[in-house]
Amino acid sequence: MSSRSPAAAAAVPEARISRRPRRPLVSRLRSGAAPYLLILPACVVIGAVLGYPLYFMGHLSLEHYGLFQLIRHQGEWIGLKNYSQIFHDGFFWHVVLRSLAFTAAAVSLTMVFGTLIALLLVQLGTKMRVLVTAGLIFVWATPVVVAVAVWSWMIDFEFGVLNWLLTYLNVGNFNHHDWFASTLSGWTVITSLVVWGAIPFVTLMVYAGLTQVPKELVEAATTDGASSWRVFRDVTVPLLKPIFVILISLSIIWDFQVFNQIWLLLDGQPPPQYFTMSIYAFTTSFQQSQYGLGSAIALVMVAILLIVSFVYIREMVKIGDAE
Amino acid sequence: MKFRIIAAVVLAAALATVASTATGSIKRATAQSVTVWVMTDAQNGWPGAIAAANAQFQQQHPGVNINIQYQTWDTVLQKFDAALAANDAPDVIELGNTQTAKYMAAGAFSSLKAKNFPNSSTWLSGLKSSCTYRGKLYCVPYYAGARAVIYRKDMYRQAGIKKLPTSYAQWLADGKKLMKKFGKNPNFSAFYEPGQNWYVATTFVEDWGGQLAVQQKNGKWKGTLDSPQAVKALTIFKSMVRKLSRASKSVDEAHPFPSIPFAKGRMASFIGNGWEWPYVFDPKGGAAPKSFAKKMGAYPMPSHIKGKYMPTFLGGSDLGIPISAHNKALGADWIKAFTGTQSETLIAKAGNIANTTKLANVNAHNPALAPFARAAKSSWFVPTSPNWTNVENSHLLKQMLTAILTNQKSVAAATKSASKQITTILNASS
Amino acid sequence: MSSKRSRRILWNSVALVVFAVMVFPVYWMVSTAFKPGNEIFANTPVWFPYHPTLSNFGDAIHRPHFWADVKNSLVIVCAVVLMSLVLAFLAALALAKFRFYGRKAFIVLIIAVQMIPLNALIIPIYLVLSKANKVNTLSGVIVTYLTFVLPFTIWTLRGFMIGVPRDLEEASQVDGTTRFGAFLRILLPLIGPGLVATSIFAFIQAWNEYIMAAVLLHDPSKQTLTVWLASFTGDRGTAWGPLMAGATLTALPVVIFFVAVQRKIAFGLTAGAVRG
Repeated sequence: MSSRSPAAAAAVPEARISRRPRRPLVSRLRSGAAPYLLILPACVVIGAVLGYPLYFMGHLSLEHYGLFQLIRHQGEWIGLKNYSQIFHDGFFWHVVLRSLAFTAAAVSLTMVFGTLIALLLVQLGTKMRVLVTAGLIFVWATPVVVAVAVWSWMIDFEFGVLNWLLTYLNVGNFNHHDWFASTLSGWTVITSLVVWGAIPFVTLMVYAGLTQVPKELVEAATTDGASSWRVFRDVTVPLLKPIFVILISLSIIWDFQVFNQIWLLLDGQPPPQYFTMSIYAFTTSFQQSQYGLGSAIALVMVAILLIVSFVYIREMVKIGDAE
Repeated sequence: MKFRIIAAVVLAAALATVASTATGSIKRATAQSVTVWVMTDAQNGWPGAIAAANAQFQQQHPGVNINIQYQTWDTVLQKFDAALAANDAPDVIELGNTQTAKYMAAGAFSSLKAKNFPNSSTWLSGLKSSCTYRGKLYCVPYYAGARAVIYRKDMYRQAGIKKLPTSYAQWLADGKKLMKKFGKNPNFSAFYEPGQNWYVATTFVEDWGGQLAVQQKNGKWKGTLDSPQAVKALTIFKSMVRKLSRASKSVDEAHPFPSIPFAKGRMASFIGNGWEWPYVFDPKGGAAPKSFAKKMGAYPMPSHIKGKYMPTFLGGSDLGIPISAHNKALGADWIKAFTGTQSETLIAKAGNIANTTKLANVNAHNPALAPFARAAKSSWFVPTSPNWTNVENSHLLKQMLTAILTNQKSVAAATKSASKQITTILNASS
Repeated sequence: MSSKRSRRILWNSVALVVFAVMVFPVYWMVSTAFKPGNEIFANTPVWFPYHPTLSNFGDAIHRPHFWADVKNSLVIVCAVVLMSLVLAFLAALALAKFRFYGRKAFIVLIIAVQMIPLNALIIPIYLVLSKANKVNTLSGVIVTYLTFVLPFTIWTLRGFMIGVPRDLEEASQVDGTTRFGAFLRILLPLIGPGLVATSIFAFIQAWNEYIMAAVLLHDPSKQTLTVWLASFTGDRGTAWGPLMAGATLTALPVVIFFVAVQRKIAFGLTAGAVRG
């Protein structure tokens, strides 16, 4: 099996690794400066672009830094005051909960629909599969700025096609339906947009994984009398676990930081009920000119993200650490 | 294989361009140049005025590069903040007249001498005060805009409205007549008022004697939307909107531009800026036929006091020279060229109000634009606190209006919490 | 037999529904782009551009700086893709083929970098680039994008390299060629699909980014296509027809890139995703 596909495995199940003898190259190249020289360029780029900015952001979060200070390049040191202000702010905790709820909803919807469509692809004949794949690729290729433009055009209050269509299909009277008038329907639009844009990546990755599941295993399980659900649960899912770990981690990271979709859909002026953490950090910095406070919010956001995705990150590090 | 070759060529070309742009930028910095940030409005609406200013500037400074960098309202402040932080600001920047106070107070602009600029003795007082902080001038008035009712003459006639209303009561009665006549169409509004158009709502507040905020004797600000006058005005506004308008209650006047549904016959009137008139005919906008113009008219919004107009919001833009600009003198000269009589005439003809009262009559014989100039004679402006722009940026007025119009909150409750927020923001240390 | 056929019909119809729902926004964009104004703002939607016009495209292309911004976007994307492939290849090689002190730290680093909210770093990054005289230059944007593309590309390429069978490595050494040269010669073709998969990712990320480009590039003639597109919704009206035409044009290069590499996509993703 292992040598059938020449290039394989972004994520190798550990069970398989342990059976393998060590590679000769690894042992020979074990010591020396070679690996450091190899990662050096990447580290230099990341360090040059992010090193000082991250230090700057940390510093900023301990300062009172408004427009006045910005123009004079000189903040006022206030220690942890920004943080205590955040932690005592009820609205902030609302935003945190909202971001978490949105992330949970968007990630699970993306994973469920993405996987279902991938399973559907397996069932299809070649022509149908190419058609659906092509459609998915079109969606994937659509830049977020473009997607938001199209969606806001579709839900336009006066001339939007969606309101007309829903009315026409007798779903209800959607003439002049105001999608952002109620928070729930507004979030429905945002979530749909995000999930719609994220499905293709998930589907294509899961489908790629599904095609790699050995047919013999599935057949053996089926002849043993297992239902197709059990085959999926007991054979397919464990084999695809590395893929799911990566997809879920990335989805959590991306959805928790969601910004562009909400920002552009609401025309750069989202009302507080549409604030996620990154929007809160951004408006605090740029619209209220409280750069210190904004940086503190952003750093707290990173911390929360680390906590939320800890389990998955640990899995990822394990996968990455294995050879 | 072919693809690989093409890819290689593209990549090589890309790298070459990167290299050349990188070196190019260093060279250019040494040449004399003036960098100007103005909004795309000028690019789309009055490119002639820019060209005229550039020509005049070029005569005065041959060989100096003019670098006009058109900006959009969405991102200009973020860019400006970043540029200020890095001492990298342009030589001239356009800001909205409600945004200038914050930047003047923070010391973002160099101070100017009014007498050095054309027509400074006749500048519109509203714009001039938006450029003045603690008695000093920090920017130059660019242009202003006023709003008036744009309406369908034919619909008014069919609804039996013989002459234009001269009081709010009459105006409201006319609106009801229109709803009776055309209201069966579920898309029709007698008066189209997008719920978050806070300029119109505040116009009502001002007309009934209320204000957004007042400065007290001790210098502190106080949000006053919960004053009896303001609450009364907003209650009247709410009942009017619910009777006459079927516009969205959760968007502002830019989504869509009322001129588009107007061109499609979905309304008998709306309150708009002078430049929205031509937009009705824009093939990419309303796409109305030329003949539609005969059916259109405009008049200033009548006050609840018979014979008077409601005060209109005097929106506008100013041009400033950032404190960290590299070529301040050149920037000042470009502003002089751009705000001179010649350019300002072109700006006014594009549907705006020029920065000087000398040009007040430019559009007097243009039936489409004259009512806007008349409306501008009675105007209101936002509180002059440096923090006001933070109130606008927080969009709390828009959200208050949505809450009121959709019955999520009572007028009293919504205005009370909005006033409290306004008080907090205006008094925050900057 | 008939149950098999009816099942096939069922799956096909489900697939058609999925296809329609997913693709509709894209269809609506393209069809709006071809419609004249009165069909765009019609009181009942017009489903198909019966009177197709190119005027929206003409309008979009003739907006100032279109071609300059296309060029900028292409330059940025090509540079980011190429440089990220080279840098990621080297780093992935280290991760996949060497055990070294700090390896785990490097893995944590590339995962953590993805968690940093780009928006919060606008001013600090601007300051750094400004000190290096790189504000308002494409190279500044390229380096910034590179930072945020590299972690994923390193990660993915690492997966491909691990899969290279050791017998091939051994064989190359038996031949007596130099260690490193042989390694590259054997490795490069084998991880080709991985390079394709990661270049797609880098391409999409760099092509679609908006806020950084908007702030870092002052000059409209130096902006990217997404920033150009965003300027359609100015203060004075959203011109839906030209906007949709512009949106179509903006999405087009990505689609072309996909078509160009499409045969490799399926294989690349498959190979990189999991091993069988």
